[in-house]
Amino acid sequence: MREPWPLVALRSSAMRALRDPGPLAVSLGFYAIVATVLATLWRIAATAHGGAIVGYSSAQFVWYIYTSEAAVSALNPRQIELTGDDIASGAVAVELLRPASVVGMRIASELGRSLPRLFACIATGAVLATLSAGAAPRPAAALLAVPSLVLAVACNLAAQHAFAGAAFWIRDARSTWFLYQKLVFILGGMLMPLQVLPGWLHALAGALPFMAMAYAPARLASGHLDPQLLVVQLAWLAVLAGAAAAVFGAGERRLQVVGG
Amino acid sequence: MPTVLRTAAAEARANQGAFWTQVAAMAINDIVWVIFWVLFFHRVGTLRGWDRSRVLLLFAVLTTGGGLVLGVTANARRIGQLITDGGIDAALALPVSPLPYLLARRVDAVNLGDFVFGLGLFALAGGPTPERTLVYVIGSLAAAVVLGSFLVIVGSLSFLAGRSEAGDLGFHAIILLSSYPVDIFGGVTKLVLYTAVPAAFVAAVPARLVNHFDPLLALALLTVAATFGMGAWTVFTLGLRRYTSSAIWTRA
Amino acid sequence: MTIVVERLTKVFHGGPKRRRHEIVAVREVSLSVGAGERLAFIGPNGAGKSTSIKMLTGILIPTAGSAAVLGMTPWRGRRALTRRIGTLFGQRSQLWLELTPRETFRMLGAIHRLVPLELRHRVDELGALLAAADLFDVPVRSLSLGQRMRCELAACLLHRPDILFLDEPTIGLDLLAKARFRELLVRLNEERGTTIFLTSHDVADIEHVAQRAVVINHGSVIYDDAVATMRRRLLSTKLIDATLERAAEPPRLPGVTFAEVTDTTLQAAVDTSVTPIKAVLDALLIALPVADISVTDPPLEQVIAEIYAMPAQ
Repeated sequence: MREPWPLVALRSSAMRALRDPGPLAVSLGFYAIVATVLATLWRIAATAHGGAIVGYSSAQFVWYIYTSEAAVSALNPRQIELTGDDIASGAVAVELLRPASVVGMRIASELGRSLPRLFACIATGAVLATLSAGAAPRPAAALLAVPSLVLAVACNLAAQHAFAGAAFWIRDARSTWFLYQKLVFILGGMLMPLQVLPGWLHALAGALPFMAMAYAPARLASGHLDPQLLVVQLAWLAVLAGAAAAVFGAGERRLQVVGG
Repeated sequence: MPTVLRTAAAEARANQGAFWTQVAAMAINDIVWVIFWVLFFHRVGTLRGWDRSRVLLLFAVLTTGGGLVLGVTANARRIGQLITDGGIDAALALPVSPLPYLLARRVDAVNLGDFVFGLGLFALAGGPTPERTLVYVIGSLAAAVVLGSFLVIVGSLSFLAGRSEAGDLGFHAIILLSSYPVDIFGGVTKLVLYTAVPAAFVAAVPARLVNHFDPLLALALLTVAATFGMGAWTVFTLGLRRYTSSAIWTRA
Repeated sequence: MTIVVERLTKVFHGGPKRRRHEIVAVREVSLSVGAGERLAFIGPNGAGKSTSIKMLTGILIPTAGSAAVLGMTPWRGRRALTRRIGTLFGQRSQLWLELTPRETFRMLGAIHRLVPLELRHRVDELGALLAAADLFDVPVRSLSLGQRMRCELAACLLHRPDILFLDEPTIGLDLLAKARFRELLVRLNEERGTTIFLTSHDVADIEHVAQRAVVINHGSVIYDDAVATMRRRLLSTKLIDATLERAAEPPRLPGVTFAEVTDTTLQAAVDTSVTPIKAVLDALLIALPVADISVTDPPLEQVIAEIYAMPAQ
């Protein structure tokens, strides 16, 4: 039986990431420090304010932050730059020669590379959160957070490819990518639950794809059993992957016309 | 040394490749933090004596002092790499003291943008009266000495380890820890932040002095700066005896 | 004596903590160098050349032994010593990449406490000596390696050093640039009396620069003699590679051994103490339909093998 190529790409990238555990350990260390500091901030803030802020208790904040940070830490922080540089340098042009979707191939192998990191972060985060705030507020919801995290990483990768595709047209697109990451931090809910944002900004963030990249799994892990979040993520994944494919398709035609 | 610094600045000017993009990225980074703290205190009000203006002042001190260290003495965070790559050779071949030469050897204009951001933030949100400004300036300088010395010390660990990862971790940890109100931590962590990883002195203490000048605390800050400065000098000088000039087999 | 080295030894500790092992990079090296000598310190990669030169310039501290350079112990009086010696590392730039050489000279001049007028004179003088004056105002990044090395040389001569230490200065240079650089070193030595201490793994560096050769292998000195003697005893062999237009029988010549002969190629080793290389080439060019021909020095490894094969003195 023939295996579908995205699966092969995903698996071999995951194997490669596991073979060199050095970078994995370093990024895990950073994740533990960053998430712990931020979780501590929100935990004591909630405790100091009568036990809850915008409906999240101290324990819920802790589980929220360890999850939202895991969703973002699973990716190489410079991934979007690397993708953009590949486009700018013409490395992507070579991949166009392959008889498979360039975007699909790239997203699949990046996802493969991120999964070992993601699961290491989930395991570490779960232990640290339990030590700091006790067991997950609602185990069923927390379990749903696991597939939701995978979807979050996939959405993030798809969106990064759509954004990085700007490099097909703009010579120096670096600041665009940097801005993108910061949008995930605030509008994606990595630094705080979206409910913290003022009403209008909360509404805006809820309608943007960034919420699928950190907020959705974190909301689940903090004990809110909202399975429809997974549906929203799937919908965004379809839209973002479509956008990435469209951007690369257009870029490809431009390369054929204008040259690399 | 002023000549070295002037030449380093000339080199930084000549190397402006993606200068404005990087400055923009750096500015976005700083602005996002400001937005985060504004949103945070919008919901929380105050936390263990910290409010929005106090955190913004802390952030102003951190970007001013940090920008100074990473901008003017940009090699401070690369000491570990220089040691493992044999980059100290060039300094040792000259009739100069190697540590000051290396520190003055590289100016990074992008991080000077952080410095400018810090000044701007203080001007806007720091309530600049003459007295406060004076304390802010001296406090930021002391903070820069503490940060730079800490970076040199963790970088010098490479003399022993032959690898530079510890230095990288130390750099990221102290910047991260300095950017939060130190009082959210308790017990051992807080003790560490006032001693081994002196994040408190890199931002929180100077910021506190601007608001409530306390001669004793000021003395403590200056003492810590002097201690870390001498510590950096000593650790680097002692480590230099074990310098291997990147003889490849040290990592075999 | 300008340089006196006695039983100099350097041991590096390597490997992860549990499997720590020691590598003796330099083992009890002793030698002395007189003022105005041109000495080549040669050996294959990893033989301990760079480690030795770094100890003599104060960059590394030896594990055992002693050294005196201009009467000073390099690793104790490093700063005083660096005012009187010049150091050039072929693989490391003393010049700042983004700037012009002249801008770096200005900084080095300040470090060496030259007053601006004196510095300007010195830079002009070196520009003329090294035929590099037109390179001094070009950013280093845009210079070719050969041009850059001439500027590097100027940088370490600004303060009129008594000794010039050069670590693999010709590495990576093309043939013409190498020849030019070697010529400069000889001129510098003959006109200014600067002592030259150079490391290399290129046999030609020894022949064209040095008066004396010290060969180091696995950290130990295995040969130390005048280059004239060495040339007679060890460097008399030249290798010839030729491509022929059609098959032909090579002539028999005294002192020439044909290593490999096919229809259209031949390789020969020439003992130039028996027949000079010119005579061999003339004979081959007349006797054979030569399409292409080259003459090379034997690799250093072969010279070292011959040193080991020599009867003990």
